Amino acid sequence: MTRSKSIILLLAASSGILPFQETTAHAQHQLREVVVTAQRPMKEIGVQKTTLDSAMLKENIALSMADVLTFNSSIFVKSYGRATLSTVAFRGTSPSHTQMTWNGMRINNPMLGMTDFSTIPSYFIDRATLLHGTSSVTETGGGLGGLVRLATTPDVPEGFGAQYVQGIGSFSTFDEFARFTYGNDHWQVSTRAVYSSSPNDYKYTNHDKKLNIYDDNHNIIAQFHPKERNHSGAYKDLHVLQEVYYNTLRGDRFGINAWYIHSNRELPLLTTDYGDASSFENRQREQTFRGVLSWDHTRSNWRTGVKGGYAHTWLAYDYRRELSETVWATMTRSRSTVNTVYAQAEGEYTPSRQWYFTGNVSAHQHLVKSADKDVILQDGSKDIVGYDKGRVEISASASAKWQPDERIGMSVVLREDIYGNKCAPVIPAFFIDGLLSRQGNVMLKASISRNYRFPTLNDLYFLPGGNPDLKNEHGFSYDCGATFSTGIDGVFTLDGGVTWFDSHINDWIIWLPTTKGFFSPRNMKKVHAYGIEAKANMGVQIAKNWLLELNGSFSWTPSVNDGDKMSDADMSVGKQLPYVPRRSASLTGRLSWGTWSFLYKWAHYSQRFTMSSNEDTITGHLPPYYMSNIALEKGLSLRRLDLSLKLAVNNLFNEDYLSVLSRPMPGINFEFFISITPKFL
Amino acid sequence: MNRHIRLTLLLAAALGIMSILQSCMKWDYGDTDEEFAIPPRGLFITNEGNYQYGNATLSFYDPESTTVENGIFFRANGYKLGDVGQSMTIHDGKGWIVVNNSHVIFSINTTTLKEVGRIENFTAARYIHFVNNRKAYVTQLWDNRIFIIDPTTYTITGYITVPGMEAGTGSTEQMVQDGKYVYCNCWSYQNRIIKIDTETDRVVDDLTVGIQPVSIALDRYGKLWALTDGGYAGSPYGYEAPTICRIDIATFTIEQRYTMQLGEAPSKLQLNGAGDTLYWINGGIWRMPVTSTSLPAEPFIPSRQTIYYGLTISPETGDVYIADAIDYQQQGIVYRYSPTGTLLDQFYVGIIPGAFCWKE
Repeated sequence: MTRSKSIILLLAASSGILPFQETTAHAQHQLREVVVTAQRPMKEIGVQKTTLDSAMLKENIALSMADVLTFNSSIFVKSYGRATLSTVAFRGTSPSHTQMTWNGMRINNPMLGMTDFSTIPSYFIDRATLLHGTSSVTETGGGLGGLVRLATTPDVPEGFGAQYVQGIGSFSTFDEFARFTYGNDHWQVSTRAVYSSSPNDYKYTNHDKKLNIYDDNHNIIAQFHPKERNHSGAYKDLHVLQEVYYNTLRGDRFGINAWYIHSNRELPLLTTDYGDASSFENRQREQTFRGVLSWDHTRSNWRTGVKGGYAHTWLAYDYRRELSETVWATMTRSRSTVNTVYAQAEGEYTPSRQWYFTGNVSAHQHLVKSADKDVILQDGSKDIVGYDKGRVEISASASAKWQPDERIGMSVVLREDIYGNKCAPVIPAFFIDGLLSRQGNVMLKASISRNYRFPTLNDLYFLPGGNPDLKNEHGFSYDCGATFSTGIDGVFTLDGGVTWFDSHINDWIIWLPTTKGFFSPRNMKKVHAYGIEAKANMGVQIAKNWLLELNGSFSWTPSVNDGDKMSDADMSVGKQLPYVPRRSASLTGRLSWGTWSFLYKWAHYSQRFTMSSNEDTITGHLPPYYMSNIALEKGLSLRRLDLSLKLAVNNLFNEDYLSVLSRPMPGINFEFFISITPKFL
Repeated sequence: MNRHIRLTLLLAAALGIMSILQSCMKWDYGDTDEEFAIPPRGLFITNEGNYQYGNATLSFYDPESTTVENGIFFRANGYKLGDVGQSMTIHDGKGWIVVNNSHVIFSINTTTLKEVGRIENFTAARYIHFVNNRKAYVTQLWDNRIFIIDPTTYTITGYITVPGMEAGTGSTEQMVQDGKYVYCNCWSYQNRIIKIDTETDRVVDDLTVGIQPVSIALDRYGKLWALTDGGYAGSPYGYEAPTICRIDIATFTIEQRYTMQLGEAPSKLQLNGAGDTLYWINGGIWRMPVTSTSLPAEPFIPSRQTIYYGLTISPETGDVYIADAIDYQQQGIVYRYSPTGTLLDQFYVGIIPGAFCWKE
């Protein structure tokens, strides 16, 4: 086979790459041919990535990116409850080691460093890619664990299109989604909105409490674990996304993406809280706008692109106490405002078939105002505890990729990060891959890099406790692995991969209490994280119009405190980090027949310790987590519209569990969705 | 094999896979009901646990046998103590455990450890002080009221509103009593000690002592001692060197001020059983006779890579018990030193051991 010849592989099923207007109403479930050339994209030489396809992202409108990642990847999603903070961590690192971009703009909260994935509706994302470990250096610095890259695309069908989806579920949950599109050769316009609300007051048995039954003399005569509701867990989230793209058809594309979020969420009470829920209010509100303007200019052997963006986040947290009827005292009134201006320029140049060069420079100017508390001063006046800081974050990279032969490719990336007036040492990364066998398209991949993460603005400046003397976290990591893909036309497709990774992170920042009653960050830990990631995807054409798809992933991630003992009594050295599972796995299976589709999702985390000393006590660990969800969908094709009816069942086996200590989770729950897609002439 | 058979086999296989993958979560709620007979003398340790984790615990150390029992509230009652175990006080044979972020105070039998009652719905309770058998005061964080409770009926019966303090940002902390007056330090973003008339339940006087008086103690000579932590750098409330103040309780005025270095973070002012020697944490453990006119030059027990978080002195033997939270995410350890500074024993307790309570 010559280089120009293509290896025909069967990698995707039709249902997985349908544009949004097409539903199971008239789906033809058969394996579809996808062309994969032996000369793979040079941009991805040695890169370890996981791509989430459209079927995963567009499963139903109630799902957040946290839900999608839980069941479709082996990275660890730590969820504090339904529609509550959910963070994501790769390869045994912490959530702040996960970088996230949306259409190129880094959207990690510059105050906290991490991202709440429960606030990102998966229906708003068209393309999601996870870049594991070293591979994140190709896009940004600071991703000691990895990078979640989210993007929207201009892929809308010709003419007008519309879709409306409504979901009605347990706990008075309502989800609404609408999308309107218009597309022609030059213009692609899309407007989408989603609104979700629920009192979220699911019932659970509170095993952390007992209620007392007293006799007339106030003696306790019996105790029992109460059935309680998830108090103070209501949410109302609105998202609107507007996109306009213009393609000159002469190599230029202009784009506008604007995303508005309005979120109002209560923070649920702990299972150990004996306060009267009606006497306390614990609420978080957020308004965020993110906008990106882009221009891409493409020529035969080079491409350049420029992006500019602006993000504004207003975040409010109120903790209030009722003193008497209608009189409330505010105990915490936190207000944070983040304004970010973003600019990026990038270029690619392919002088020959063997060489590929890229350059990229991005700048994020953050302006943060954090006001946490009003206090009465000693002179009787009032002031606010908080900080008002700005920081420019510049990241520049250059890469050279060389593929001397179709069987081997190498890539070098050099990245420089400058945050404020501090420069990190140059971040070097090296990638190599090679085609071991054309039969089965067996590829070997390896990469190695250093990486640095700057402290967040809260780490440095939060009052009280911010520590301006913090050092950068820095890490060294490498990985190596193999991937394969094979199949028989019309019968089955199979692809997968396995990767070994190993990383050392020093000066890990953790917040610890102080004797003055507040927390303060310090460079404390030295962590050694290593392990295996594996994934496999399979599609089987069982019979005509019958299709079975299976996607599985597995991670084994020892993440060990490798530092010195804090004192002789310290029992944490050599132990797994708290809330990092050693093993995680996920599996989704989709069976499609004609206009019917059945989905089964399963996720597993091994036990998570809550203590650094890995105690196997009641509060020292959380037992292994197993979760099963199913969904059944039926499509109907009518004359004027397509309908899709779907029933989703979450927590199928009605598990009574906690995901994080003292945070109750819902038992079995249901949501019914109806999707209406008009047919425009 | 015809199509129907293939499909039937497929569905059966799918159900089989689902049943294999589905292992029930084996959640150990540890619904125990252990019987205890706690010795008549010993030391309770309240372990705060991690904020918002609900993993506060109670430990008991028997100095006689040098044995420790951990997690005893849970083991005796079959449910968790709660979130942030703040303090414990024994009165009339009952132990009163203040669980700050669970908004509750549990009352337990100090021998069997079984709950005998509870009072709920505090704002953020810190300490409980018994005025008599029918009345106790409970101080709060983020509230300008001290709650008045009736320990016989386990009810909140009233409030003492502290003047010059706003609801929501107030803070009242430890209490000591001299005659009919209770003295209480106001800590977070505060600078005063208030004087409460227990007959009228009203604040009758206050005294400015310095930024954030974090703990107080009443010595054998009737002198009130207050330790201020000085706030923190950047605080709009101010930042100053921590101090120890000796207050003449009769005139309610500061007699002497002992000033430390700016940036130091002292805490946990304690007295020995005789009430004639002060101890406190400031990196290491420091001590000073109450008659001293100046601060000591060297610590009594130096820090040794430790983060001392709790301190108490045995009223009986004068032994010094120091709690080390280590990394705040594992079992803390308590070191027991003799009055001469010899290490006598050490034992692991719960997460973030912050407060002690002597059973005697």
